[in-house]
Amino acid sequence: MSDEQALVSTATIQPERILHDLQQLWAQMAVDQADSGGVLRACAMTLVVAAEDESDADRAREIAGVLMHNHPSRAVILRPGAEAGKGADLDARIFAECWKPFGKAQQICSEGIEITAGRSGFSQVTKFLVPLRVPDLPVVLWCRGTAALEAGPLEPLFPLADKIIFDSAHVTDADSALQFLRRLRGRGFRVADLHWTRLTGWREVLAHLFDDQALDPGEVKSAQVTFGGPSVTTCARYFAAWIRTALPAARVTIASGGLGGGPPGLRSVSLSTGSDNLTIALGSDQCVEVSGAGRHYRSMLPSTSEEALMQEELGIVGPDPVYERALSA
Amino acid sequence: MMEIRNPFADPLRFERRVPECAIVIFGAAGDLAKRKLLPALYRLAYDRRLPASFAIVGNSRTPMTDDEYRDRMREVVKQFSEDGDFDEDLWKRFAANLHYVAGDVKDPRLYQALKEKVTATGQAKILFYLSTQPSYYTVIVDGIGHSRLATAPEGEWRRLIVEKPFGHDLASARELNARIHAVFREEDTYRIDHYLGKETVQNILALRFGNGIFEPLWNRRYVNQVQITAAESIGVEGRGGYYQEAGALRDMIQNHLLQVMATVAMEPSAVFEPDAVRDERAKLLRSIKIMRPEEVDQYAVAGQYKGFRQEPGVNPDAQTDTYTAGTFFVDNWRWAGVPFFIRTGKKLPKRVTDIAIQFNQAPLALFGNAPGSGDGGQKARPNLLILRIQPEEGISLLFLSKEPGSGMRLRPVSMDFNYGTSFGERSPSAYETLLVDAMVGDPTLYTRQDMVEASWTVIQPILENWSNRRFDFPNYEAGTWGPADADAMIAKLGRQWRNS
Repeated sequence: MSDEQALVSTATIQPERILHDLQQLWAQMAVDQADSGGVLRACAMTLVVAAEDESDADRAREIAGVLMHNHPSRAVILRPGAEAGKGADLDARIFAECWKPFGKAQQICSEGIEITAGRSGFSQVTKFLVPLRVPDLPVVLWCRGTAALEAGPLEPLFPLADKIIFDSAHVTDADSALQFLRRLRGRGFRVADLHWTRLTGWREVLAHLFDDQALDPGEVKSAQVTFGGPSVTTCARYFAAWIRTALPAARVTIASGGLGGGPPGLRSVSLSTGSDNLTIALGSDQCVEVSGAGRHYRSMLPSTSEEALMQEELGIVGPDPVYERALSA
Repeated sequence: MMEIRNPFADPLRFERRVPECAIVIFGAAGDLAKRKLLPALYRLAYDRRLPASFAIVGNSRTPMTDDEYRDRMREVVKQFSEDGDFDEDLWKRFAANLHYVAGDVKDPRLYQALKEKVTATGQAKILFYLSTQPSYYTVIVDGIGHSRLATAPEGEWRRLIVEKPFGHDLASARELNARIHAVFREEDTYRIDHYLGKETVQNILALRFGNGIFEPLWNRRYVNQVQITAAESIGVEGRGGYYQEAGALRDMIQNHLLQVMATVAMEPSAVFEPDAVRDERAKLLRSIKIMRPEEVDQYAVAGQYKGFRQEPGVNPDAQTDTYTAGTFFVDNWRWAGVPFFIRTGKKLPKRVTDIAIQFNQAPLALFGNAPGSGDGGQKARPNLLILRIQPEEGISLLFLSKEPGSGMRLRPVSMDFNYGTSFGERSPSAYETLLVDAMVGDPTLYTRQDMVEASWTVIQPILENWSNRRFDFPNYEAGTWGPADADAMIAKLGRQWRNS
């Protein structure tokens, strides 16, 4: 079930009113559901989602609804709009996302606030977000779209967040995007990149080979990361950096797999000790093929849907030392 | 073999790889294998926790081919898998690694056949799982030893998982340990107590040692009593034959509940490493005051529900305790004088396992005489911290709050943390956790020999006392909270059971 309640648009947002209306929404839902197991208000964080544009906001809202099941939160969806409300540059409405765990009568619900901000209203969003955060719980800011990886209107929101999530999948200049993330990291912000998260399946396959002692890490002399697409991607840079931090003595190179070789992204990773080689190559059906060092098998990669990537990132609200090392390398 | 640190490990993102290995399950057609082990292994495969290459070799006496065993297990996994997650394609891949060897564990030829089967799978690491009747444990361990199945080549390993009960008293536990150690080293012996694998039992450590606010209160100055309850609403459900030999004291308290008590009361370990944690648990178990023979009647109560003797397979004159309550004290500085009340039983009003830590009352009843204050019972209500292990896993803190309105009426309210709603993701079952731990060689949640012997030492005086007497059984009605003697036991110390 998904419940929604629209607030009357106002010329300016009144956070106290939004919080009051949320209280009323909960009280009403408790009454409505009293005979069928009741509702439980669940919240473990504030998730602020800055949508790229108006059409992206619907998708953002949909994903936030899915994420709430595993990471109950107060979701604040920032919807950019040229014209927010009638004559208003800022507009807000509240909603509740409810679900019933298998076999249980009680519904679990998380709450959300959708703020539509026109061009001039966006500058005021920060001051409204402060009182709308759930006190004492972490704030995660998800900046959707490539434009977020450049200095822009979202910057004032960064200090509010305990973690800021970007996605560099579609940037045309990987090095600039990484530079931007490093700068933020240098200013003390905890950043994450969903294009790094997409590598988890690959990294897990490689790490497991070393759990199995397929190669002695001390003996790996070189590694090559091959990417597809017209130019080097952040994921290739990340993967190479990750190997470099793990195997400082190895020579790590990045190579292009050629333009005709499918979509941008990681194509293969090879490690060599001189006498032994190990390759993980992208196969069909969301699989990678592992070969070398006496092994030959396929391994399924986990889903890389935005929902799955965000689930993973929301599970890490504290430091992420492996990513931070790879980003800095 | 020296372990090489994996420079690619990223524990925040992915788990350590379960090494390629073979799991040999003795008792593979039994209830435990069907209900718990195979569903747990399948679920691990579902979650991509098993390596691409692994093997499960089942053994029981029933003649079956590999394919027949696979067909049978397919139905079992479908029936007993949690959340109904069953994927036909995955099952096909999983079933290809399932093998079966029929044979009697007393027959030396079985072990040869197992050796050939495991060799054919290409696996060099072997985890043996004793899921049979306990009386076969030593026979199987001897069989493994004589056939040299337990001899691992350089760089490989052989491990043994033993299900409870670990003996039926202190002497038999020592005997079992000695027989096991003739074949397996202690570090390769994994005594499974599935309670320790439960997320909520592990969360006790997180609650205590990951937070700053509880531990300062976690001692005799602030804690008045601790009550550990493991109640079942069902009876013996067809296990009458086994249960009448075991009883609640052996079946629940000696292992599960004393381990839970140790987890609640242990000192923090200096590091979170297997032996450091287990050392602290063992120290706590050794600190439990051993009852003198004359104290048993005062501190332990046996009960049996009406109707137990009419259960199939049960002796009409059975002296089995289907209910046990005990009062235990810990002789150390932290807990001296604080009673730990433990009770467990069948046919109680509901299925619940929880731990209630009751704190001392406020030193002054400030609101007792305020106009409109509640009755004496309310104003004297102590704070309770309840750690709920099942069925609604979570933590509650009970405290007094002012009722709205004029006057100063206080009412107990509850602040609840619910595991399921704060963490939407599914918790792994205890067997999934423990199987992975055994495969990766992490014994933190397994019981060590000294812990087993310490807990048998604690209950040995009760066992001896009860074996020499005839109880006036049955002494409690199904659907009640046990015999009146249990209430009297706790009342003598000025307390009463909280009937959860």
